[in-house]
Amino acid sequence: MIWLMIFSMAAVVFISRHLLLEPKLPLRLSKGTQTFLSYSAPAVLTAIFAPIVFVQEGQLDLSLDNSYLICAVVATILALVTRNTLLTTVLSMGLFFFIH
Amino acid sequence: MTTDKLIEPDVSPAHPTKAKAFLKGTLAMMPLTIAVVPWGILAGSFAIEVGLTPIESQAMSAIIFAGAAQLVALGMVKAGIGLWSILITTLLITSRHLLYAMAMRSQINPLPLKWRLTLGFLLTDELFAIANQGKLHKFDPWYALGGGLSFYIGWNLATLLGIVAGNAIENLGELGLDFAIAATFIALVVPTVKKPSILVCVLVSLTLAVVCALFEIQAGLLFAAIAGMTTGVLYAKVTKEAERAEQSATELESTQAQTEADIGTGTKSQTETEIETKSASGEKA
Repeated sequence: MIWLMIFSMAAVVFISRHLLLEPKLPLRLSKGTQTFLSYSAPAVLTAIFAPIVFVQEGQLDLSLDNSYLICAVVATILALVTRNTLLTTVLSMGLFFFIH
Repeated sequence: MTTDKLIEPDVSPAHPTKAKAFLKGTLAMMPLTIAVVPWGILAGSFAIEVGLTPIESQAMSAIIFAGAAQLVALGMVKAGIGLWSILITTLLITSRHLLYAMAMRSQINPLPLKWRLTLGFLLTDELFAIANQGKLHKFDPWYALGGGLSFYIGWNLATLLGIVAGNAIENLGELGLDFAIAATFIALVVPTVKKPSILVCVLVSLTLAVVCALFEIQAGLLFAAIAGMTTGVLYAKVTKEAERAEQSATELESTQAQTEADIGTGTKSQTETEIETKSASGEKA
């Protein structure tokens, strides 16, 4: 079951990466599809990290005791100010392991 | 890797040797390879925690090679969700790669099949970030291979580390390694918020993902992400975001024409040239 999952997921991922690199494929994405897909990275990544940050043990946690939330706010500010992915990740994670 | 046997692609004159280009790509990727380490550790240890064998855990990183999709899939396995739901979610998470492939098509598709397959397999967010920086005519496959392959190796070594740690340390999850996902994704998302419509998309996706998590809705990720994307597109349409960018450029042009009329000369003044430059850059943005 796990192996089936690994190979089928690998197929989905590889096809999405490779498909449009093929010169023989006449497929082109329409303008509308491209616009829609341009929103996919921010939407998907946000939908993955938001519950990690805001939900602790099944409850909405907006308190100052939520170190995930505090460090996420710090990471957002760092990302806005520095525009540096590595610096943002390393500093906010350092802070997290320090206070968590 | 039997790279020697590949048909030699056009090597850019900017890099005198293949090895140099390969090294240059590796170095350009280095900060991102380092940043992915905690995340790889998480992928390895989480897989063990969910109940995969060490070989299966490593195979996820070696064969799928997609961090976000791997972690989300593991979470779904843990929650006992079926294969089809996992695959549909994977498709959504990975759909952004269609755009990357499309953007890099003109650079990669003249290369031989082996190169296309290899670079296609290695085409991650990170590789796209270093290899597609507007160097259309300077694209060097060896540079891309150096970046992509070093990142692949880094990701797999970090996963291995996570597997070893996950086997050795009980409750590794309680250390809060999952914050690594949040930190990395925040660092990736924030710079993409360049237009109001993307901010709207992110806020909708964030709110719905949290609400779905609170109500333990299984397809929450899919629902939140698609709703976010749709709202973003609609917001851009309703507020005519794209057209407004053009319009502000046109407005500048008309101001320019006005200035021209006011000055009453046909020759270009310095101010006009400045405005022209501004409107040109406005169109690009």
